[in-house]
Amino acid sequence: MTSKSNSSMVFISVGSLVIFLAFWELLCRMGFIEPLFMPAPTQILARAGKMLGDGSLLQHTLASTRRVMVGFMVSSLVAIPFGIFLGSSRFFMAVFDPFISLLRPLPSMSWIPLSLLWLGITETQKYSIVFMGSFAPSLLYIIEATKGIDPLLIRAARNLGASNLDVMREVILPGSLPQIIAGLKVMLGIAWTCIISAELVAAREGLGFMIMNGKEYFQTDTVLLGMVMISITVMVIDVLFRKFERRLLPWTRQ
Amino acid sequence: MDPSVAASAAAPENGVEKGAVPKISVKGVTKVFSSKRGEVTALKELSLDIQDGEFMVIVGASGCGKSTLLNLVAGFDHPTAGEVLLDGRPVAGITPECGMIFQQYALFPWKTVQENVEFGLKMKRMPKQERQERAARFIDLVGLNGFEKTYPHHLSGGMKQRVSIARSLANNPQVMLLDEPFAALDAMTRQVLQEQLVRIYEKHRKTIIFITHSIDEALLLSSRIVVMTARPGRIAQEITNDLPHPRNADVQLSDRYMELKRHIWSSVQAEVLKSMEVEAGQ
Repeated sequence: MTSKSNSSMVFISVGSLVIFLAFWELLCRMGFIEPLFMPAPTQILARAGKMLGDGSLLQHTLASTRRVMVGFMVSSLVAIPFGIFLGSSRFFMAVFDPFISLLRPLPSMSWIPLSLLWLGITETQKYSIVFMGSFAPSLLYIIEATKGIDPLLIRAARNLGASNLDVMREVILPGSLPQIIAGLKVMLGIAWTCIISAELVAAREGLGFMIMNGKEYFQTDTVLLGMVMISITVMVIDVLFRKFERRLLPWTRQ
Repeated sequence: MDPSVAASAAAPENGVEKGAVPKISVKGVTKVFSSKRGEVTALKELSLDIQDGEFMVIVGASGCGKSTLLNLVAGFDHPTAGEVLLDGRPVAGITPECGMIFQQYALFPWKTVQENVEFGLKMKRMPKQERQERAARFIDLVGLNGFEKTYPHHLSGGMKQRVSIARSLANNPQVMLLDEPFAALDAMTRQVLQEQLVRIYEKHRKTIIFITHSIDEALLLSSRIVVMTARPGRIAQEITNDLPHPRNADVQLSDRYMELKRHIWSSVQAEVLKSMEVEAGQ
């Protein structure tokens, strides 16, 4: 096993995927699977070609991606400073703890009715769903990350003249950044579930809308294409995120 | 405190020239730590004066409260009773005047050597250009040129401690507090760093409090040695170290060196035995 190189492992993975798709295609062609329930891979591919041609696939993918990114960015930009502040103040932690504890178990889905009532079927409503779904868990990840800081480093910083704000900015933030980023990576996945659920319920574009719309018209290939696009988009963003992570944490490079 | 006592204590201070006020004065300090398991008296009515420019080494068995004493001087902690004075004024909180060097280096892993050394200057809001030049000078002083852009996890223990010393010196503290700084290093690195520290001391004439449990280290570095008792920590003995400089191999083999070492060891030994009895009894 250990003698196998990385490239041969990639070869095995690709092979396994190709065999799976071929088997699926074969079952559909031979009539074992009804296309309404499960269209063949080539049928999904044909649908992809069509939707690429009229631009709708890109439109839906970009709409969902934009919503996730805006909601997630706003949520992170609020959660990071707030989490670091709460992580370094026991008093304010006690003040906000009950609200965080109440918000955290709420699935983002449960915010959909209220958000529709308040904001209508708008982009802001989509951003707010992503925000509500990811803010409280992000905050908890960040507070937890700040607890991992070596107290000796805080002591050393104070001994060198650092104020409370200096300690937060110069020690707690960079010191907990690796864990914060690890937490945000998980949260990014959750942000995607938030937006897809919101789009499944009420939207005029986006991958969730595309899936729901496909179902309405019995276009199972559109439904599956939408699902595949979610996977691919999340994978691409994950790779980009990892690049960004390495730039942000130069000291962890070996 | 009785106000009349305070007044009479303050009065002569004004009349006497500045040199008579000790740099650091520990006055009847008691430190009790309370936890769920009960109370531990780490220091009991300890008094000690350290003059400006002294290199004072504190020797004692482990757990005798040496580090507690240093933490009180640095302002990390407050005495339960008594007071710690810096230049005649009580230490109210953490003060950059007393630069601390930790055994575990306490370098910021996300900052390069240069950025670590600049840290205290950045906290003082010194302009970038100026602090870079100043940091470069102290990196040079500890012989780490060429490592400015290196992150701490690429450095050896000895190099890390040199960064930590440079970081402290760049901040220009009046007092340097060193808490067993070389204990985690191998013997040869330790010797190099000891010699470097002596050179720095001779050049910059900081007041130094240095904690160790190595009697040889105490004899090599100090101008005065204080032996602490087992817990609760008090002063068992004070010895003025009159060994000539430089304390090279000849000095280390001299009769006077042996005599001092035997003398210190006998009092440390008694305290080590006592602390072992305390631990066995727990």
